[in-house]
Amino acid sequence: MPEILASVGQGFGVALQPLNLLACFIGVFIGTLVGVLPGIGPISAMSLLLPVTLSGTPEAGIIMMAGIYYGSMYGGSTTSILVNIPGEAASVVTCLDGHQMARQGRAGPALGMAALSSFIAGTLAIIALMFVAPALSRVAIAFGPAEYFSLMVLGLTLLAFLTQGAILKSLIMATAGGVIGLIGLDSITAQPRLTFDRLELFDGIGLVPLVMGLFGVAEVLTNIERRLSRDVIAARIGSLLPTRDDWRASAAPIGRGTVLGFLLGILPGGGAVIASFAAYALERRFSRDPGRFGRGAIEGVAAPEAANNAAAGGAFIPLMTLGIPPNVVMALLLGAFVVHGLQPGPLMMTQNAGLFWGIVASMYVGNVMLLVLNLPLIGMWVQLLRLPYNLLFPLILLFSIVGVYASQNNVFDIYVMIGFGLFGYLCRKFGYEPAPMVLGFVLGPMLENNLRKALILSQGELSGFLTRPISAACLLLAAALLVSATLPTLRRKRDAIALEEGG
Amino acid sequence: MVSRRAVLAAWILGAACPGATAVAAQDYPTKPITLIVPWTAGGSTDITMRAMAEVAAKHLGQPIVIDNRAGGGGTVGPATMAATAKPDGYTLSQIPVTVFRLPLMQKTSWDAQKDFTYIIHLTGYTFGIIAKGDGPFKTFGDMIAFAKANPGKVTYGTPGAGTSLHIGMETIAARQGVKFTHVPFKGNAETNAAVLGGHTMVAADSSGWKPLVQAGQLRLLAVWTADRLKDFPDVPTLRDLGMPYVFDSPFGIAGPKGMDPKIVAKIHDAFKKALDDPGVQATLTKYDMVVNYKNSADYAKAIDENIAAERQIIEQLGLARASN
Repeated sequence: MPEILASVGQGFGVALQPLNLLACFIGVFIGTLVGVLPGIGPISAMSLLLPVTLSGTPEAGIIMMAGIYYGSMYGGSTTSILVNIPGEAASVVTCLDGHQMARQGRAGPALGMAALSSFIAGTLAIIALMFVAPALSRVAIAFGPAEYFSLMVLGLTLLAFLTQGAILKSLIMATAGGVIGLIGLDSITAQPRLTFDRLELFDGIGLVPLVMGLFGVAEVLTNIERRLSRDVIAARIGSLLPTRDDWRASAAPIGRGTVLGFLLGILPGGGAVIASFAAYALERRFSRDPGRFGRGAIEGVAAPEAANNAAAGGAFIPLMTLGIPPNVVMALLLGAFVVHGLQPGPLMMTQNAGLFWGIVASMYVGNVMLLVLNLPLIGMWVQLLRLPYNLLFPLILLFSIVGVYASQNNVFDIYVMIGFGLFGYLCRKFGYEPAPMVLGFVLGPMLENNLRKALILSQGELSGFLTRPISAACLLLAAALLVSATLPTLRRKRDAIALEEGG
Repeated sequence: MVSRRAVLAAWILGAACPGATAVAAQDYPTKPITLIVPWTAGGSTDITMRAMAEVAAKHLGQPIVIDNRAGGGGTVGPATMAATAKPDGYTLSQIPVTVFRLPLMQKTSWDAQKDFTYIIHLTGYTFGIIAKGDGPFKTFGDMIAFAKANPGKVTYGTPGAGTSLHIGMETIAARQGVKFTHVPFKGNAETNAAVLGGHTMVAADSSGWKPLVQAGQLRLLAVWTADRLKDFPDVPTLRDLGMPYVFDSPFGIAGPKGMDPKIVAKIHDAFKKALDDPGVQATLTKYDMVVNYKNSADYAKAIDENIAAERQIIEQLGLARASN
């Protein structure tokens, strides 16, 4: 306990340096901005800004990137409540009751509760992160190739399990992503694979152009043809503070949403989107009067907003302790660490203690900044919802191209981005989600690499996966999940918490 | 201005190109020089190259513009230069070892022995073999003895297949008459963790192990530099252990083939001065890089020798490209 406090003190020393404070502010500001604006989410914003962070210190860069992520969780609710368009994917459920509240003239308390529950859950998640991460990173050294392989099997199984309806489609996308991830020099034998003797492909396809194409460019293309109706309810927001009754109704949902969100955030394939849906479903089940939901129930705003913020905090754990990104956003953050020559993993907390605790402390600071940005300054963001899209979309495209080029000075990356942009657009048209593809792209090669390393170490013995306890537990859990998915009763339950989006 | 005599001389010699550049060589450089660094900006190689280029630019009297062109394991930049740039001394490139190693492993657009004018060999990295701090291997000899008794049982991690670390370990194994098992990881955070967690017995990697060795969690069995390290004076080099090797994945600077020797000499002298600069030396120390100077002629010779040595080991490892 005293060590943790000392570490947190050290972290605040880093986070409160003027440059890092500024980075944190820019991060949460941009996060709120992209959260508020429909059509651009944290993923496109982060991949856009990744090159910008190159020139500064790793602390400043990663603090800013993280700020964008949890900042967007706050901003997304504003658009959901006022316009009934989710500002980003994790705020889809907030529309259901949030917008109803706004129509009933209670936009103020809805916005207030969204911001406050986000703050409470965000802060609790950081505290949990502080205690869980060091413990886990001590255990994490025991994770060898066999354990990593089994853990990833479990993660991918969970991903498939939690993806509803179009399981086949998301499997196709994940597999395609895995194949794209294998382009380049084979990590075990250094032989080129799928490169067609093109030197540009030897290093593989970059994560940044892939993600910016699939999310940024494709999002713009999709939005161009959609008429975004915007009946902004901004006439009178009124008092932002929820009433005593509101608090009474929301206290328990915030608590449950935080715990659920945090746990789902840790799991590979989880993340904020799943967390918010699951929390909403859970509250509806717990409620004495489920009929209230969808008609302006404040707990329908509080629970998912708490869950998506807690998930944003929990998602840092596997990245920081094991070096495994549990979702697309964390995969991008992994990229940010790597460009600064840092490899997140079991040793990061001891070798780069200042950086790790600085990031954690900056999240406290950022949450306070967000509360200020989202409560007193809410009017400013509402104004922003009136920005014409014929200005916004070309700007996003321009920044995407400049950003992709700047990250590697490589023209080829621009073609890759445009290619994946068109591909992502077609995917959306035919109902294929891009998120599983990105996770397949990141996790597929890791899965392959660890499987082969494990087999080299065991000299070809497969039994190692089952005799090592952590590995065996992961595989058994994955098997149990697969079996349960085929049982009809459990299947119905799964459908209740599952959803269409995977990341 | 090209003087009439120079033009005449060119005619007489019947070799228009070198004649015309003879005068240009005297004035060189008259405009900024582009130095291709085939890695992303901000990495240790980029930072040290920038430090050297800054000092060299002062001696040359023209700015040196760094052009970061990453890709192909550091070969896309030099390959582009070889294919497109004029040998006028205004386009140069940093040359990592992959430039001559990759053609041994796969089909490439360049020939390392023919397509470049090698100018100066600059520095290399600090590599070493680490084992667990409380593990059974106390010395390099312990590891070899165990490997002799248990062929293939010594597992070692590296940051990747085909890297200098991988090829170095296999060269050592061949020399000692033992067999190791290679486990390629990605980067030194992973190799260190693998040794700490007991997943591989040892690892060969660049100096990312330094803080962990100082903390006693890892033990440094041998270093691959020419001289012992200041921080670890008790750790033997490979030469101390009776093997004539220095593996440091060295790099230097080259231009396209056919450069005027006078221009080559000017660039060489400027970068040689940069190498001796105290500021540059401090930067190199910070990133655990060691000076590995060779002049133009020795550099070109070293390339030939390295290719011959590596071809053998790469063929043994089964990494060589199919002959075609």
